[in-house]
Amino acid sequence: MTPATLPWHALWRWLALCSLVVGQLWALPALAHKASDSYLALRIQGSEVTGQWDIALRDIEVALGLDADGDGEIRWGELRARHSALATWALAALALDRGGRCTLQVSGHAVDEHTDGAYAVLQLSGSCPAGAGDLTVDYRLLAEVDTLHRGLLKLTLDSADHVAVLVPGQAAPAFAAAPPAPLESFTSFLVQGVWHIWIGFDHILFLVALLLPAVFERRARRWVGVARFGQAAREVIAVVTAFTLAHSITLSLAALEWVSLPSRWVESAIAASVVVAAANNLRPLIGGRRWMVAFGFGLIHGFGFASVLSELGLPPSSLAWGLAGFNIGVELGQLAIVLVFLPLAFALRHTGLYRHVIFTGGSWAAMILAAAWFTQRAFDLSW
Amino acid sequence: MVKERSRLTARDCGAFAGFPGLLRRRPVASPPAHACLLATALVLLGAAGGLRAAPFVPTDDAQVLERLPWRAGDAAARDLASLRAAAASASAPLAAAVQLADRHFDLALERGDPRHAGYAEAALARANGERTAEWLTLRGALRQYRHDFDGALQDFEAALAKDPGHAQAHAWRGAVHLVQADTTRARQECEALRRLDRPALAGACEGLALAYSGQLDAGTRALEQALSAASSAAQRSWLLTRLAEVAAWQGRAQQAEARYRAALAMGVESVYLRTAWADFLLDTGRPEAVLQELAGQEAADSLLLRLAEAGAVLKRPEAERWRRTLQDRYAAARARGDTTHRAEEARFELRLRGSPPTALRLAQENYAVQREPRDARILLESAVAAGQRAAAQPAIDWLQRSGFEDRRMRELAGLTATPAPSTGSSPGHSAR
Repeated sequence: MTPATLPWHALWRWLALCSLVVGQLWALPALAHKASDSYLALRIQGSEVTGQWDIALRDIEVALGLDADGDGEIRWGELRARHSALATWALAALALDRGGRCTLQVSGHAVDEHTDGAYAVLQLSGSCPAGAGDLTVDYRLLAEVDTLHRGLLKLTLDSADHVAVLVPGQAAPAFAAAPPAPLESFTSFLVQGVWHIWIGFDHILFLVALLLPAVFERRARRWVGVARFGQAAREVIAVVTAFTLAHSITLSLAALEWVSLPSRWVESAIAASVVVAAANNLRPLIGGRRWMVAFGFGLIHGFGFASVLSELGLPPSSLAWGLAGFNIGVELGQLAIVLVFLPLAFALRHTGLYRHVIFTGGSWAAMILAAAWFTQRAFDLSW
Repeated sequence: MVKERSRLTARDCGAFAGFPGLLRRRPVASPPAHACLLATALVLLGAAGGLRAAPFVPTDDAQVLERLPWRAGDAAARDLASLRAAAASASAPLAAAVQLADRHFDLALERGDPRHAGYAEAALARANGERTAEWLTLRGALRQYRHDFDGALQDFEAALAKDPGHAQAHAWRGAVHLVQADTTRARQECEALRRLDRPALAGACEGLALAYSGQLDAGTRALEQALSAASSAAQRSWLLTRLAEVAAWQGRAQQAEARYRAALAMGVESVYLRTAWADFLLDTGRPEAVLQELAGQEAADSLLLRLAEAGAVLKRPEAERWRRTLQDRYAAARARGDTTHRAEEARFELRLRGSPPTALRLAQENYAVQREPRDARILLESAVAAGQRAAAQPAIDWLQRSGFEDRRMRELAGLTATPAPSTGSSPGHSAR
């Protein structure tokens, strides 16, 4: 390690020179300079622990003293003489916990070479009270001696692999055996939610059919483009909020298995909702209360989302996280559609393209397509 | 876990000079005997396979496994032992711990060995009693060493609250501000040093603050004044090094070389001086000289990087081995979450691995934390090599704002005109 602020270290030196006489420089061609690390490899299968721990001889020398004859060289005999002290010292600095404190012994000693010199190798074995669950690793080697020391952990816990940098004296990290953490299921369901609204063509079609007239207002039985963006935005917000609220309610009720409806019924009603929304554009009956349509049919769409969610398989351990993630994902996906739709529709609202092709043509197309879905779903036809 | 180093040590051992195919070129300086012994063992162990040694159990008690960088009888080891004893008792005054930590930090810098920085911090943490300005300043300097700049600034501030006249805290704070290219704040620290009547420190501080804000002539004058006020060889060596760097930025190669040589002639051990000198030699197209000057100095990563660059230019057989050793060392640092070497690693990726995108990522991460001229340069070089000059915008902005006149950097940034005198009105920009 060569910190890149070297010139400033030199500055420190000449500040320090006020009080210190420069010691003579040792002309020792040292090995690479590197901060102190130990290498801890642990393998835990059920309650059985095996492992290997490599600790630098230089570090052991500082903590325990190895160089018995003071000649500046550490020999195998000197290390061998300190093996039991080494084992006691090292094991006191490592605590594994799986359903309670695991026992640990040093079952063998060897030597190895790393980039910065020779290491003592401690072979570890032991057993834990429990054969399943999380494992915590409390690491305190050299905590009082070298604040830059780190333990580089490679852990195999049942079938899960972990690597971690252990900082002596910091809260012992816990490693999960297998099931995903709440955050992981939250994010993965969030992505699923976004994905589902984007590929769920019937939901998009319903939303768009309701939003198409948002840039218009009804004057003398005719659609006229609104004057201000705010008007259109207000309408969009009302529709989207009502739809969101409604489908969130039924999605939660269904996911928690408090209410359940037959899926054929739900799917048919979703198709019908598109027909109604599109027909209302062509021959307005509902007037300015499209948000009520959004709310009413939103309740049905929520059941549709719930069936997707149950196919994905919500893990019981993180049900709430998964549900929240999926629901927020649906909203985000929906929001993305609205953010693209609204400015475009507003910009084009006075054009013939929007009025005749997109609005009228689109509504007809949506209605016909949804009517076909309805027939197919309600009468269980396959074609 | 990398075993590269042991195998390489084996190749360098005098004992293997005649071993066919193993040693292509006799090294200038032989490694110590223990390395040869160990290497012999490892070579024999690994001779059949890929030389990736596995743990082994020696059979001879006399086998040397490691040679310590000190001996129990050494003056320095005795010195350290007595400081440690003085700081050990529970009733020891805080000052004893500060002295011990101070000595360890000094060793860390002298030898480039980070373990001593860890010992220093631990010695401070163990100390009892009310924290003094000295304690706080030293901890701040140690935090700065591992690039915890915010923590360091907090410590210097606390030290100055206890003792507003603490010159070291001011000097260190100025240094951190300069590293982060905050020359306005740095100048305030220089003024404080001036008020405290520390002309050499104040001049050094002002000179660099001026140079980093593009006023290289004025910076040179301030550094020269500091040089005339300097009282020790170490101070003069450091100031000459910085003066040489400024001259090189100005394109005055002869002057820069004269100053580097003057600094080297003082015989003060400094990894930084040798690094800067090697960079100068590389920039002026003299890789052979780098191989000569740095022969055998592979322990410090920064020197090994310069050796490897020179070796690659000259297509020397050792170049590949240096390159792999560096790669292993950077990997080992990364494994422990160490990010202090990113600027150097960016240079490695750019010049020795030919991977501009990786270099650019590292240089960008580094520039978010450190913004000295060398940091700007590697960012520019990587961005241009990666074909994304816009990624170096913060460095280009700095060059434009300051009018910093290093020709190489201005060309990389696409700012080819000579900068206007830095009165702040119109930094030269010819591109538009």
